[in-house]
Amino acid sequence: MLTRNDANGDLAEAIRQAMNLSNPVLSRFDPLPRIISLDEFSRGHCGWSQLVGNYEDTLDSMLPGYAQHTSAMLSTLPHWDAGSHGGMGSSYALKIATRPRPGAQNVAIKRLTFRKRGPIRFEAYFTFKPEATELKLGETDVRSVGFLFDLQGGDRDNGAERVMPHLRFFNAEGGRHLQKWQFKNETTRFHPVGSGEKTLSHYHLAPEGWQDLPDGSQRLCYNEIATKVNWSYLRFDFDLAEMKALSFQCNDRVFDMSGFESIRMPAMKNLWCMLNFCFFAETDVAKRAFLYVDSVCISGDF
Amino acid sequence: MLPENITAILARNEEWTGEATTEPYEAGWAREAVIFVRALKQPVGPAPLARIEISPDGMHWIPEGTQMQMPTEKDGIAVARIAHFGNWLRVSTSFEDGASCTVLVTAHLKA
Repeated sequence: MLTRNDANGDLAEAIRQAMNLSNPVLSRFDPLPRIISLDEFSRGHCGWSQLVGNYEDTLDSMLPGYAQHTSAMLSTLPHWDAGSHGGMGSSYALKIATRPRPGAQNVAIKRLTFRKRGPIRFEAYFTFKPEATELKLGETDVRSVGFLFDLQGGDRDNGAERVMPHLRFFNAEGGRHLQKWQFKNETTRFHPVGSGEKTLSHYHLAPEGWQDLPDGSQRLCYNEIATKVNWSYLRFDFDLAEMKALSFQCNDRVFDMSGFESIRMPAMKNLWCMLNFCFFAETDVAKRAFLYVDSVCISGDF
Repeated sequence: MLPENITAILARNEEWTGEATTEPYEAGWAREAVIFVRALKQPVGPAPLARIEISPDGMHWIPEGTQMQMPTEKDGIAVARIAHFGNWLRVSTSFEDGASCTVLVTAHLKA
């Protein structure tokens, strides 16, 4: 039987959902009660900046994995043969482009902190393609696209850790069209930067250590020439209290996350309550890979 | 709302030799761009002219017409001011054999 508070809570939730569904921007998402950020790239970069590597005294101390990164762009997905493709609700999307050499990666990051350790939800519409330098589909040119969080507990939390859940769509390697979701639970060793007293660096997107998500194969809508794209939906739920993945969905598929593990390491000196989100792209061939993000909604249950 | 205004890093700590360019950058939303090239280390050999290049597709490039003298000393900067560039921008230059410059290239774009 509902108590009066339960009934009020149900009514509030029904009103919240009705308001979200009547809002054309929010209606395509399923946010938790508090929206932390809602990014549409016709309003600029919305805080998605270049992931720059750590350094001290000289930029030469930056690890090569980070040195290759470049600034994300606001793109209309302009194609040489068909003109601007545009986004879902505006002309613009965020574009993360790699350099044109096999294995090149690029990362865009949004840096926040959290105010409550509870469930958060990360939703986005995305698509990916190689640069259309050939009159071919190029479906095995992009090695992977994905996202990661970089999190750390609060300064008064017992046993706080730095936790980095990673998920990538492993599209292809060596011409094999693999099309499966993967996670990783290990990073490369830490390197001191400069004196090493304040700053360390590790390249957590190194190609080693990726593991298949159970039943994680998925064929996405890739379309039939290099300049036709379709937007896909992804949703990743993570609990900041337990530092544990709760669920992952891409388009019509919901994946079993019981075997998912994050990269975990001892808390670091200057990263308390860190709540960072990254998108990344990786090319498998000597051709630029492009990850486009139409919109992102990050929400929390607080 | 204030007009969009973005600083983008087109190249950071890259040692340029021979034929050198920045990665293609899309900025069709911007009406104007100011591009700086700073030498992060002492350049070696003759400092060439750098060209602003534009493109219909990010793959085929043509000089826009603006040129700038590459820096001749550490922390020297070159600048180019550009308008009417369509969507794609890059900086390109050609070094003589043995010449080089380690650059920071930044674009300052305004709607």
